[in-house]
Amino acid sequence: MAASVAGAHRLVRRWLFFGRLDALWMIRDLGSFAGYAFSEGLKVLAAIATMLLLSERFDGVGPWTQPQVVFLLGFAVTANGMIDDLFGYNVAYISRRIGRGQLDHVLMQPQPMPLTLLTEGFSPAAGLPVLGTGLLLLAWGIGGTAAPASPLWFALLALNLGASCVVILAFAYAVGSLAFWAPRAAEEINSSSWSLITQLRAFPLDGVRPALLGGLLSVVPAGFAAWYPCRALLGLDHWRPSVVVTPLAAVAFALVALWIFRTGMAHYLDTGSQRYLSYGHRR
Amino acid sequence: MAATRKYLKTAEMAFSAFFSDGPLVLLDYLMRLLRVMILLALWRLVLDSRGAGATDDPGLSLGALLTYTLIAQVFAPQLDVTTRIEDAMWEGTLTGRFLQPMGLVANFTSELLGTWAMVFLTFSAPLLLLAPALGVDPRPASPLHGLLFVASLALAATLGVAVDFIFCGIAGAIGQNIWLIKYVRTGLMTILSGVLLPLQFLPWGLGDVFAWLPFASMASAPLRVYTGTGDAAWLIPLQAAWCVALWPVASWIWSANRERLAFHGG
Repeated sequence: MAASVAGAHRLVRRWLFFGRLDALWMIRDLGSFAGYAFSEGLKVLAAIATMLLLSERFDGVGPWTQPQVVFLLGFAVTANGMIDDLFGYNVAYISRRIGRGQLDHVLMQPQPMPLTLLTEGFSPAAGLPVLGTGLLLLAWGIGGTAAPASPLWFALLALNLGASCVVILAFAYAVGSLAFWAPRAAEEINSSSWSLITQLRAFPLDGVRPALLGGLLSVVPAGFAAWYPCRALLGLDHWRPSVVVTPLAAVAFALVALWIFRTGMAHYLDTGSQRYLSYGHRR
Repeated sequence: MAATRKYLKTAEMAFSAFFSDGPLVLLDYLMRLLRVMILLALWRLVLDSRGAGATDDPGLSLGALLTYTLIAQVFAPQLDVTTRIEDAMWEGTLTGRFLQPMGLVANFTSELLGTWAMVFLTFSAPLLLLAPALGVDPRPASPLHGLLFVASLALAATLGVAVDFIFCGIAGAIGQNIWLIKYVRTGLMTILSGVLLPLQFLPWGLGDVFAWLPFASMASAPLRVYTGTGDAAWLIPLQAAWCVALWPVASWIWSANRERLAFHGG
């Protein structure tokens, strides 16, 4: 008990420390802050604009009413914001750290690697534009839908949001682990895998053919990024246990990703990284 | 022939270097294919639920919309031109480009042509062949529309290179992180160009306003020409006008700011 309290205390202290560093970095000068806030705002707007405008024009998308589409977008952006907040600075883009040999920086720290990966990317200031927009959309969507806004429903919403983040991160780590074996070629593979998820997550996938849909819930789990949990939470899926499918999928994806990452780590501990030349430049 | 050799050689180098990072580039193809399949399913979902694929616009049937979406993906590199200049700025390799025996625009454009040729062979052409299996008629509205599309696409790509140089020039001028400028550009393209959502579908008459902007001339115009859902006699001259207006701006921004660029490399 005392050990777990001490562990939690250590975690919070690390988050406070890295949160302060992130805030200092963000407000280092007005020009950089304004440029970052504007570009992030526009990036989020672009990610949701297509579906938002489409649902406005056609008063919904298929079985999804307009407020339900807003909820879907809010869920997707909030999950994205949570990952940005907790796993910024390339912790979520793990292929970059592995490919660039920066995992050594993690390994040499006098603390367990999971603690470093869990805290080093904490960036509440940098992630605020995305998370804030997501929460606003989520509140707007909940206000317009007939969702049973009970404490249990909000608990399920929080559970599904967390599970979606785990699925997305697990996919990123499973794919990003390729950089253990191909550090140069796979350094940017997480850019592709993130694009894959972020470009597909905002679409209602109801009209997609079953075979493709199966792929989007397994090989490339974009369906779990927003569409499936939102269907379950909004009652569009009449199968009641569907609200726990995303959390269960999160456990499965996390286990697979953990196995792949550990296998890659074992390889890395043998070979190390040779990406940097002796005078500091990348090969 | 001798005068064009250096440009052809640059294009050839870009063509052959396409798979230099291994087969991982195929992941991008997978992403594009998935996206086009989902977009096609989305249009069917939206329009079929309104009854027999109806749209409010009599000129934009479900069939034309599916063709619009497919062609937008087939010619995606030409409809949203991204030279490698932002990478070169980020990596610090732009300094080397200044030393090469050709102009910067010609250098990046030659490279772009080589990349486009490879993408066309490995993704665009297979996607066109796959179109019937996806339930899409990939043909233009008529042979004349097909011919006009070639001219419109050339103007769109020319305009795209100018816009790319303008944004990267701005990044150099204001000393901002190149990726922030890229996000701004991508955001504007997604919302204003009509490449994902045809401008005719925008609510509140926004599409009529956006159609006048250069972003629409880069994507929406050629797609509307191809599908016969826009007036080529208005769209193509507007594209030409934007080219005439923006190339001097691109040239001026680079001339004024090239010495302010700082490279860190590494």
